[in-house]
Amino acid sequence: MKKNKDVIIETAIFMCGMLSIIFVISIFIFLFKEAISFFWDYNFIKFLIGKNWYPNSNKPLFGILPTIIGSFLVTFGACVVAVPIAVMSALYISEIAPKGVRNILKSLVELMAAIPSVVIGFIGIRTVVPFVKFFFNIPTGLTAFTGSIMLACMIMPTIITISEDAIHSVPWEYKEGAFALGATKWQTVRRIVLKEARPGIIAAVMLGIGRLVGETMAVMMITGNSANIPDSIFDPVRTMTATIASEMGEVVRDSAHYKALFAIGLVLFVITFIVNFIADLFLRKK
Amino acid sequence: MVDKIKVKNLSCYYNKKCVLESLDINIEQNKILSIMGPANSGKTTFLRTLNRMNDFNVNYLRKGEVYLDGYSIFCMNMENLRKRVGMLFAMPIPLPMSIYENIIYAPKCLNIILSKSEQNIIVEQALRDASLWDEVKDRLNSSAMKISGGQQQRLCIARILAVNPEIILFDEPCSGLDPISTAKVEESMIELKRKYTIVLVTNNVKQASRVSDKTAFFLMGKLVEINKTDELFVSPKKKQTEDYITGRFG
Amino acid sequence: MIKLSPKLSQKLSYLFLFLATILAIIPGVLIISIIIAKGWSVFFTLKFLTSMPTSGMLKGGILPAIIGTFLLVIISIFFVLPIGVGAAIYLNEYSKNNLFTKIIKLAIINLAGVPSIVYGLFGLGIFVIYLKLGVSIIAGALTLSMMELPVVITTAYGALNSVPLSFREASLSLGVSRWKTIVHIVLPNAIPGILTGAVLSTARIAGETAPLLFTAVAFYTPHLPHSIRDQVMILPYHLYITATQIPNMEENRIFATALALLIIVLSMNFIAIIARIYFRKNRKW
Repeated sequence: MKKNKDVIIETAIFMCGMLSIIFVISIFIFLFKEAISFFWDYNFIKFLIGKNWYPNSNKPLFGILPTIIGSFLVTFGACVVAVPIAVMSALYISEIAPKGVRNILKSLVELMAAIPSVVIGFIGIRTVVPFVKFFFNIPTGLTAFTGSIMLACMIMPTIITISEDAIHSVPWEYKEGAFALGATKWQTVRRIVLKEARPGIIAAVMLGIGRLVGETMAVMMITGNSANIPDSIFDPVRTMTATIASEMGEVVRDSAHYKALFAIGLVLFVITFIVNFIADLFLRKK
Repeated sequence: MVDKIKVKNLSCYYNKKCVLESLDINIEQNKILSIMGPANSGKTTFLRTLNRMNDFNVNYLRKGEVYLDGYSIFCMNMENLRKRVGMLFAMPIPLPMSIYENIIYAPKCLNIILSKSEQNIIVEQALRDASLWDEVKDRLNSSAMKISGGQQQRLCIARILAVNPEIILFDEPCSGLDPISTAKVEESMIELKRKYTIVLVTNNVKQASRVSDKTAFFLMGKLVEINKTDELFVSPKKKQTEDYITGRFG
Repeated sequence: MIKLSPKLSQKLSYLFLFLATILAIIPGVLIISIIIAKGWSVFFTLKFLTSMPTSGMLKGGILPAIIGTFLLVIISIFFVLPIGVGAAIYLNEYSKNNLFTKIIKLAIINLAGVPSIVYGLFGLGIFVIYLKLGVSIIAGALTLSMMELPVVITTAYGALNSVPLSFREASLSLGVSRWKTIVHIVLPNAIPGILTGAVLSTARIAGETAPLLFTAVAFYTPHLPHSIRDQVMILPYHLYITATQIPNMEENRIFATALALLIIVLSMNFIAIIARIYFRKNRKW
């Protein structure tokens, strides 16, 4: 009798483990189900590289190239700003800061990572948007550039935390070996620590990219939401996520437009799947 | 003499590499058998096979049979087997709770006892048998992590005794202890053999000669020699045994 | 090019790294201080926190949004905690190192990476439409709990993993079954870590908007929710609409809403951080 109880509980626990697989598969199926019925009527290639997104016209066009470019531009811009700063501060926090300062900085960074993206978007509207408009003398401050800046602020804490872990986990013996050869601390950090921690840092950046691509609220609020292919980084853009978020509320259920939004979701799912998979490969390399 | 455990043609493998080769050994009841040998000679593997502690390890594989009172231990219910065959590890592992709770933990989980007074009796008896009672009787409710290493190891013995096993396996129980604590653990071991059958794995030749009735010498996964302790140490039959006990290697 | 002496180059680099750290922290500090500076005056008229919105949300308070946020968060953690801890126990205590385990781990990593808006689509597809729950608290909470699941599993797994293997062996060697060992030895020692992780993931969820856009939120509700089938107002969404969709909204009121959201999220994080430091110091082994 007692044995049976254990077996039941252990089966339940096994089912909990199974659930995560079931969830991933069911997410994929639910996106795929709607997306495939969309591609039944609409050419997949035309969808991916179509330049026009006119879902509500008489002869609707569902080209998501502008939104792909929008997502890419904002993500890329945010990375250019965030990655160098984040990796440098991770180095500082992990290797140079005194222990007490290190703990405080780590907690502070963790708190910053918790600021909700709506708040970031809101502050962006009130501060950076008017500043960009004024400073660059452009018709609107709601641009890919503004989005990149705000997203960089948002993503830095995440990259710092993960790369800090990677840097901190470089074994002490490696550094000791370099010190024994007469290297200064900075030489050691630059040549040994940075090299050893590289896979972890790359993984941190990949995870950051994954989050940037999927970020919704902040970009919807500050990148201008215009579904045209931008000429420069100072043009308004619209990301894939913002397209879904802003249009899903108004579409007719089971219409082509509705299914097209699920198809965008599928594209997002696949992109983040690949990015996270690569990040995981690098994390394992450690 | 009654043989408590019979080992028939036992071979063990880790990652397909043989660490214990066709072993035949009989363990007598109410005696101390010590198993000595240098590192990597398969002593601990043998011991962990006796109460199936290796069964969860996916890289572990075994062939052959071990009989406890004539029944194959591999066909027994694992929990029942371990209840009958207790094991003491190399490092003292007190569980993170009080001394009292440490001892009563297993009986409680195994639903052996119920009333508070019965619990008190079991705790006192186990601690007395492990010769620890006098040292800790006033602080049974303080954390087991705070007593000394030697006391912790004897607490672990008491914890095993509380389950009332038939056989106790000692896996280099004194490797982390100072000489005085070691002497105390050895003392309680000799006390214990009146009630229990004991298998002691050690890489300390002198310890084997001090406490055991019979001694086996393992080398590179093979049983080289087994004999009464006095005979083995006075007139070893194999050259390797002689070299080892005289300290020429190992 | 001038070759700097190692000592000097070290000093310069340290300076640069230090400046980078400052640069990384400034935005967060600025965001928090701007919101406090502009929001506190309205925030501390306590009526703002405890009354219903009036005159098309231009006046009154944000009570329903606060309650909605708490409701969603609490219900979702109620779902996710048992499942997440169960999965972590399976992975850490039972699973063998085989292909199946690797697939589960990969699945968890990917669940963690799925964008929140995609969770929103999924929640719409399965909970709102397929299971016919409609746009409701329960549909939103379920969507959130799926989002929290990988975080809860990962932190619980770490907490279980940090309980020394030797404790398990000691318990097993006494003849105690595997499950009882987990219940009596492993879980009690892992609970601080598990709870800290749960609080952290809850804090993250409290600030989420995207997964709830089509599954739970309402622009405005005239009354507090009566059942879990009702739509709700939530703080982050309330902040979004007051900041972007309602003209003539008084600035300080928006900042006060942001302050309320920030206080909820940050205080939960703060509690988790303090708890973690406390438990690490007082660990029994």
